[in-house]
Amino acid sequence: MTARQARTLNALALLGCCAVLIEAFWYQLVRGELPCPLCLLQRAAFAAAGVGFTLNLRFGPRPSHYGIALLGAVAGACVAGRQVALHVVPGTGGFGSTLFGLHFYTLALIAFVALIVGVSVLLLDDGVLRADPRADGAGAGRFGSACLLLFLCVVLANAVSTAAECGAGLCADDPTRYEALDSWLGHAGPR
Amino acid sequence: MMVLPFVGFAGSVIAVLGGRRGVAVGLWLAAMAGTLVLFGAHATATLRLDF
Repeated sequence: MTARQARTLNALALLGCCAVLIEAFWYQLVRGELPCPLCLLQRAAFAAAGVGFTLNLRFGPRPSHYGIALLGAVAGACVAGRQVALHVVPGTGGFGSTLFGLHFYTLALIAFVALIVGVSVLLLDDGVLRADPRADGAGAGRFGSACLLLFLCVVLANAVSTAAECGAGLCADDPTRYEALDSWLGHAGPR
Repeated sequence: MMVLPFVGFAGSVIAVLGGRRGVAVGLWLAAMAGTLVLFGAHATATLRLDF
């Protein structure tokens, strides 16, 4: 595998993490479905896995970078698995709406497992770690840089959204409003 | 509290963009530890898996 191919694969994986986070944001902002604490932790895990791909893009592929992506995905799979287990018994209901007939935590579990399998298959090719990023020019490249910046924006947006929802404390189990933002506006508004 | 992992991961990405690999990995580790602590804080109820 050449450095360019490795870079493109990492950029695509990072784009996949961005797509998942943006899609969750779309449901939050357009359909008003506020994320529960476990949902937020799954988003954080996608960000954790994405950091591994950003490191690969910027500094070239290394085992430690793929390890970071794998650990993030494993943590996310644990959180998503916990939420699936909370709702798996018939009659216990679910949380949030569905996409393709599956709740988002189920889709997240599938995505995390797919990420783990994908990175593991990628690592079967020894060439992926021998690829010298300097061979095709240093840095992430134009596409990789764009993915990197998009990923940073999405993670920062999640930070702002989470702060508005939960403030400095833990989030409500079944959030219905941006508690911290409402509280802040209540204090800052006209009297 | 819940915002801390996102702040840590965002800081990690900023460090990556700035070419500071060590800082990026350190921030990632701290944010990951925070994520796991928060997971532990939210996973307290016993699962009812009696089908």
